[in-house]
Amino acid sequence: MSRIALDGARLAILAHRFEGVTRKMANTLLRTGRSGVLNRARDFSCCIVTSGCELLAATDSLPIHVLSGPDLMARAMLDLHSGLRRGDAFLNNSPYHGCSHAADHSILIPVIDDAGRHRYTVVAKAHQADIGNSIPTTYHGTARDVYEEGALIFPVVQVQRDYEVIEDVVRMCRMRIRVPDQWWGDFLALLGAARIGERELLAMAAETGWDTLDEFAARWLDYSEGRMAAAIEKLPAGTASSTSTHDPFPGTPAEGVPVTARVTIGPAAGRVYVDLSNCPDALPCGLNLSEACTQTAALLGVFNSIDTTVPKNAGSFRRVELTLRRGSVAGIPEHPTSCSVATTNIADRVASAVQTAFAAIDEGLGMAEVGAVIPAADGVVSGVDPRNGKPFVNQLFLGFTGGAGAPHADAWMTYAHVGNGGLCFIDSVELDELYHPIRVRSRELVPDTEGAGRYRGAPSLAVEYGPVGCEMTLGYVSDGEINPPRGVRGGDAGGAAHQWLEKNGVRTALPGCAQIVVQDGETVISITCGGGGYGLAQARDPHAVAEDVREGWITASRARDVYRVALDAHGNVDDPATADLRTASGARK
Amino acid sequence: MRLGCDTGGTFTDLVVEEDDGSVTMHKAPTTPRDPAQGVLAAIQDAATARGESLLVFLSRATMFVHGTTHAINAIITGSVARTALLTTAGHRDMLVLREGGRADAFDHGSGYPRPYVPRALTFGIPERIDAAGRVIVPLDEAAVLQTIARMRELRVEAVGVCLLWSIANPAHERRIAELLEQHLPDAPCTLSHTLSPTLREYRRASATCIDASLKPLMTAYLGGLDRRLRAAGFDGRLLVLTSQGGMIDAAELALAPIHSINSGPSAAPVAASHFARLENVDDDVIVADTGGTTYDVSLVRNGRIPYTRETWIGEPYLGHMTGFPSVDVRSVGAGGGSIARVDAGGVLHVGPESAGSTPGPVCYARGGERPTLTDACVTLGYIDPEYFLGGAMQLDRSAAEQAIQEQIARPLGLALQDAAAAIVDLATESMVQAIADITINQGVDPTQAVLVGGGGAAGLNCIAVARRLGCPKVIIPELGAAMSAGGGLISDLAAEHSVVHFSGSDTFDMEAMNSALARLERRCERFLERAGAPSGGRSIEFSVEARYPGQVWEIETPLECRQMRSPEDLAALVARFHAEHRAIFAIDDPHSPIEIVRLIARARCPLRQKAVGRLQTQVQSGPSQGSRRVYFSGAGWVQANLLRLEQIESGESRRGPAIVETPFTTIVLDPGSRLERSAHGSLIISLQG
Repeated sequence: MSRIALDGARLAILAHRFEGVTRKMANTLLRTGRSGVLNRARDFSCCIVTSGCELLAATDSLPIHVLSGPDLMARAMLDLHSGLRRGDAFLNNSPYHGCSHAADHSILIPVIDDAGRHRYTVVAKAHQADIGNSIPTTYHGTARDVYEEGALIFPVVQVQRDYEVIEDVVRMCRMRIRVPDQWWGDFLALLGAARIGERELLAMAAETGWDTLDEFAARWLDYSEGRMAAAIEKLPAGTASSTSTHDPFPGTPAEGVPVTARVTIGPAAGRVYVDLSNCPDALPCGLNLSEACTQTAALLGVFNSIDTTVPKNAGSFRRVELTLRRGSVAGIPEHPTSCSVATTNIADRVASAVQTAFAAIDEGLGMAEVGAVIPAADGVVSGVDPRNGKPFVNQLFLGFTGGAGAPHADAWMTYAHVGNGGLCFIDSVELDELYHPIRVRSRELVPDTEGAGRYRGAPSLAVEYGPVGCEMTLGYVSDGEINPPRGVRGGDAGGAAHQWLEKNGVRTALPGCAQIVVQDGETVISITCGGGGYGLAQARDPHAVAEDVREGWITASRARDVYRVALDAHGNVDDPATADLRTASGARK
Repeated sequence: MRLGCDTGGTFTDLVVEEDDGSVTMHKAPTTPRDPAQGVLAAIQDAATARGESLLVFLSRATMFVHGTTHAINAIITGSVARTALLTTAGHRDMLVLREGGRADAFDHGSGYPRPYVPRALTFGIPERIDAAGRVIVPLDEAAVLQTIARMRELRVEAVGVCLLWSIANPAHERRIAELLEQHLPDAPCTLSHTLSPTLREYRRASATCIDASLKPLMTAYLGGLDRRLRAAGFDGRLLVLTSQGGMIDAAELALAPIHSINSGPSAAPVAASHFARLENVDDDVIVADTGGTTYDVSLVRNGRIPYTRETWIGEPYLGHMTGFPSVDVRSVGAGGGSIARVDAGGVLHVGPESAGSTPGPVCYARGGERPTLTDACVTLGYIDPEYFLGGAMQLDRSAAEQAIQEQIARPLGLALQDAAAAIVDLATESMVQAIADITINQGVDPTQAVLVGGGGAAGLNCIAVARRLGCPKVIIPELGAAMSAGGGLISDLAAEHSVVHFSGSDTFDMEAMNSALARLERRCERFLERAGAPSGGRSIEFSVEARYPGQVWEIETPLECRQMRSPEDLAALVARFHAEHRAIFAIDDPHSPIEIVRLIARARCPLRQKAVGRLQTQVQSGPSQGSRRVYFSGAGWVQANLLRLEQIESGESRRGPAIVETPFTTIVLDPGSRLERSAHGSLIISLQG
């Protein structure tokens, strides 16, 4: 191939254009999707992968979906299909072929030039409302294996030829998926988004030539690698291990699942090393990670600790060396290990272990733990709607907080979970009540549940809701009750998750992972996780503490006991009394 | 005589239209502390140019149409009224949680935005209505009274009321309003179901609180402006431009001041649409309004200006969503002041950081040290350092060149002119991406559209933007440099009324829809009556917001009748929806039913019959003759002809490379483009030569 000179200005322009393509794809998908998890919670991603299967651009995508995964899926497409042609499209949801988990239906389209050569792969991926699991949820936490999980698995199966849909696959899905029309709508939206990506790349190539685009990709990945190396070179050298423990669920040991990451920062080599080989073996439940999710979760923990302007693509990933173990709960799964819940629970523990290990290495690095998911407030509900007699299945997103304290700022409150990075939308109460036969009694933040610290984590959110005029099946997989999000560098843990069933004013505790039936008149009370704090609470700016009290995030007694800040009758900081408290607390520590 | 006036960030623009149709343009610096002062200065300039006293000049004016940034500035600077929110008990964190979402998953430095109304001033009221409008929990009036007492203690100045499902049954909101009127009469109040009858409580609450918080200051501002204009001799009608691209009487605006949030920018597409029509353009129009710090993009699609409810004040997800219908205008931080830099990895960036007007670009010689887009334009010969703003300001070309040489050219390993061209190219690309974002969302194909350029800096690269987009034609109207003020002269009296109305095409209730449409029509007629609209030009347009089952984002589809009379009317509506969906998103689902969720009626009435006349320009001093060396990427240094706008007669055409200068703007014609002056004074530029 002839080398084409691209200066730093041309690189910048082409980078903008590639980002523009993924933004167009994402916009199309968001606006046309039918299931709540796609169009309300934004649980989707769109990206461009090079012919060498390296991730090039993924603007506006859910982090856990894309950092790794699209690269593996594109590779699987090339390995399994020869003679790719323009007009082909493939469906992949196999966690053994690069997909995150079975619920994320991914459409892959090879972008083919006029000479028939494969140039790029565009990927559009979206979490589905239902995928035909053995129970009506896309998160089957207790499934012993992929057979009990029950979803149709599509290991890079062709679904379009010459731009025409192959109806065989559609018929299979329609027979197995509980809400076939909703699935069909999402399938069309995915195809539409991927085709828009293809169209834009073909147009860009017609204008600039494929060789220029190839040269751009090579140079952009090198540039990103250089930026990553430079960012790592600024960090202190060091090694730390951190363990983040998932609560016990059915199928896990009684003490839960400890996820340990050993992180080494090597500024001299401009590299970060993350070793996950000490994680336990795969478990007979749905919590195991796919390879894509293990890699992505580790990368997330790294990027949460790195200069935010470093581009996230295959170039910067070259500077992160991961050590994974085959057959581990957080490594590379062997078929038929179930990875039903791979994008959230254990993945979040991996990312948390990595970012807290960074924090352990030095002040100003890493982040506290982000709150765990999936609470009952964000569970999958199903039943028959008494208003029209039609069945419904959908994931609700009634709320989450979970944000972790960072080295220089308070938490982003509506973080959802670490794999989401806060991109998720929260349902409107009115919209949820319109779409489902439910009523949301209340949705409010819980005072004094923030992870206290110099920079505080998010408080918990309490949501109470239940069915109206029918019974409702609810599935959720809520981690974080026994192991609430930990603080770092002296910061405190954030609020833990809890869930209860309320009937006639009597509350009964519910397990963390369950599929339950809620009767008409009963409600579920779901407390979501807060987030951990960063640094000592006693080091927090007293005026910020006074503001927290004024706004009702914390009570005056918590300000005094935890933050060691005294307030006067008007709620303003009492400086001398605060100084006294803080000296005393210093002595106590 | 009519006056259109827009208070922008830097300049207050005034466009005067005499009774004979002739037009003049005037600018005065904006005076943020007392915006009326800048308005009066611009009026004084117009009077002076005519050799008239302010009194004589203003007494000739029958109408003053005002675009104002007063409301949005008050929100940005936090100087709005101390506002409380009353909402359904158990849902007090509506404004804190918002709708989730975030711009950058890895930005751990910005912190989480504060709610528009502090939690300390948000009160839960025991009551509940369900989706069907049934009262589940009756309103606890004693609790309302207690809350009112508490608000009085807290010195609350304005109140927003947004209860769940008030759009299905407004009884509780209405009763709270009565109690407020009785017990807290000095604090103006806004009810969500009347201001913004829309689904999704956060958006409704946000609109409601923003509106309430603006009431005291907008009442004072408009009242003050009205008094000062009248004291200076004005005896006409004072109208304000709305976010919806129309205008309403100032007194009416004061009752719902949220309408003025996007007051000026929303008028730009109105003006652009008018000037495009004058040139017999039926194509879609992309409107680009370039200021010193932002680049505002809007559209005219199928002759209509698209609306959005997702307007953010400040940055998306960090600012506040208004949740209120507005002309869809997207802003990117790309303007003359955008700063260029090369990062450690050797890649160029332009913006979003801006040098603003102080210190401004390096060439302003006011202390700016970092090169900007304007500096690049000076270096390339696009801007004449001697004739910037008609010679009002002398620019330092060598300082601009030196900054670009040291900070951009050297690290990129490029020659000075190539580095400067790269800055222009990258800024162009940011603008192109902003246009791509809005066109994909609204289903406009740029290669079939016309670009209309406005704002002081539009001419510098609008041809380059059009080339990248594949737009075949660019129009720069005579009034382009004051597009929003010009829009003020062209805008119609307009108001929008809407109602939430659920109906599936498969479970269609024609009678229910028709009675809802009839109610909307009556509300529109009452508005037109109140505004004293001449009966001749009155029009009411109906449309529906609809979606496929399961979707949550609706698209607006015009309804081509006032009432649904037959199954064929419904079939036509459904067919239009499928077509619209396909146009916007490249796919449709023609066998699926559709769900109608809202009905919208827009009343409008033009207050003019004729087109805006020609701009009267003063004869300019100074040379703008001959040619100058100008650099284009691709073509290198070329001799470009120098032209003054007034020297180009209607019907005349010129070929690029050329530079057209006016006291307000500079238009750069690259080699290969051809310019023609139309009978209406606009510059029509074809890119294919």
